[in-house]
Amino acid sequence: MDVASVQLVPLAVVAGMFALLIASGLRSGGRQASEYGFSGGYAGRLGIGAAIASNWMSAASFLGLAGMFYLKGYYAMAFVIGWTGGYVLLLVLMATQIRRFGKYTAPDFVGFRYGSELARTLAALISIAITIIYSVAQFRGIALLVSWLFGISYVPAVVVGASLVVSFVVISGALGMARNQKLQYFVLITAFILPLMLLTRKLGYFWILPQFGYGAAIGELQQQFGFAWSEPFATVSPFTWLALCFTLMFGTAGLPHVLSRFYMVPGIRDARWGVVWGLFFIALIYWSAPAYGVLARLFEARAGIPFNGSDPMAADMVVLTAAGTGGLPLWVVGLLAAGGLSAAFSTVAGLMITGSASFSYDIYPRLIRPQASETDKMYAAKGFFLLLAAVVMVLTLKPWGMIAEIAALAFALAGNTIFPVFLLGIWWSRANAAGAICGMLTGVAITSAPFVLGGSLPWLAKLMPATSSAFVGAPVVILVMMAVSLATAPPDEETVRFLVRDVHDCTEE
Amino acid sequence: MREPGRIRGISFFTPRGATMRSEVRVVTLVLAGWLTAIVGLQVVIYLLEVNYSELLLSEMTFFNLPIHFWLTGQFLPLWFIILCVLFNIWMDRHAGRNLDSTLRFRVRAGGEDE
Repeated sequence: MDVASVQLVPLAVVAGMFALLIASGLRSGGRQASEYGFSGGYAGRLGIGAAIASNWMSAASFLGLAGMFYLKGYYAMAFVIGWTGGYVLLLVLMATQIRRFGKYTAPDFVGFRYGSELARTLAALISIAITIIYSVAQFRGIALLVSWLFGISYVPAVVVGASLVVSFVVISGALGMARNQKLQYFVLITAFILPLMLLTRKLGYFWILPQFGYGAAIGELQQQFGFAWSEPFATVSPFTWLALCFTLMFGTAGLPHVLSRFYMVPGIRDARWGVVWGLFFIALIYWSAPAYGVLARLFEARAGIPFNGSDPMAADMVVLTAAGTGGLPLWVVGLLAAGGLSAAFSTVAGLMITGSASFSYDIYPRLIRPQASETDKMYAAKGFFLLLAAVVMVLTLKPWGMIAEIAALAFALAGNTIFPVFLLGIWWSRANAAGAICGMLTGVAITSAPFVLGGSLPWLAKLMPATSSAFVGAPVVILVMMAVSLATAPPDEETVRFLVRDVHDCTEE
Repeated sequence: MREPGRIRGISFFTPRGATMRSEVRVVTLVLAGWLTAIVGLQVVIYLLEVNYSELLLSEMTFFNLPIHFWLTGQFLPLWFIILCVLFNIWMDRHAGRNLDSTLRFRVRAGGEDE
């Protein structure tokens, strides 16, 4: 891909897509939420599903997953299963019950269930850490796309991308814009699948369902170019594969911005069916993403370009590379760039606004300025948003992995901390504040252990790789929570009664 | 021993009341289907790779895709959706039955009052 010139046609497509989403957001800003999928009935549930999927789709889904397939082949299937299988956990173990708690954020839930300010503050700090890590993955995607669009190198692209994100949030806030998530999802899925259909059609494959059609490319790569796709566990062990897969599943069921979707739906049935639709919409992306990785390799092999397995930046851009080297018109490549930017922008804006709100609501008035007025809190939120953007920008300058790997670290942290606290908070009435606090601290220690001790203890890095630590970590945290809870005083009667009667609908026997 | 008058707690392994017990039963079934499919498929794929010629996995195709790509990448997400649909159908019927029994109870109680 040419990085030295401004891509005018793709830039026009990006501008067009953002104009469409902003115009639709301005229209929906003045309407009631019920018009946008939070009302009951069939259409409402579909809308909730689209909102869940649109909330979920980020640079990691749009760009990162295909990059992982391009570099690592079958290993990347662990991302597909992790990011879809987690919704089963979420549905059967949490969606209904979270809705019954009626709290609006993860720290709110923790504070209420465990009746502890310390546990609430800790949950807020962890949520902010998750926000930062997840946002780094988004900023990396934004920077790579900006770099390609404007023909500038990576570091200035990070600064330009960060400025664009801040401007986007400020302008959206000033105009009172609301996200029309249904429209956004359908625009994103079209931007992702249409180029794939065109690519498979050009190759003469089964293009109506390119999610199946790309199989012919795997055969061609194997027979003509010697790429071995038939040895799924040749380079990674089943343990490594399953560790990543389960970490992503636990993380999915513990990510604060995913959990928060269920506080806002109007009814319990809507929450449950919304998850099913959301999962279907998300699966549409993940059924398609491997095709881009495979086709990018095929086009390179046909053009005689040697496979470059050591450039993570190039791998993160394979969605665009596949479209470019596949000979698609520039406007179609622009459509992919616009979809990737839109997914990353909306995710990062939502995450950082939630992170700032968490700071101004859960930390600032409790730890820094107890007498803070509402105006003070608003300024604190704005200041923290800028600080968050600056921190994320600096971390993005030297990212330690690919988009999907950075995102996986956020999932590991969520899976090691928020997931066990929610799981036991809902399903074990004996879990108490001391258990939750010790559990969350243990989870933080486990997540950081591969970075701190991985060099000196190689077995630890193998047992708990940085992106896959929750497979072992989450059960350890659950055991710690249980041991500490049993060793300390039980939660108060009112909490147990609420859990038994209101959350689980148990009548006295 | 529970203190007199103190409400008895619940857990996933010690559910209370008909509603929670049946809900836990169906959650367990769904989770068993979820776990078996994920781990079981990878074990089967691993055994095929280790015990047979590597060509086997590439020769076995479904809808053009090598069988392990199709099973993991396409079938498993579909299986998750099926599990979620079954769970929701069961929960909807279950909620309906609960509502019915509550209404019957209320009508009967109302009749007795009269």
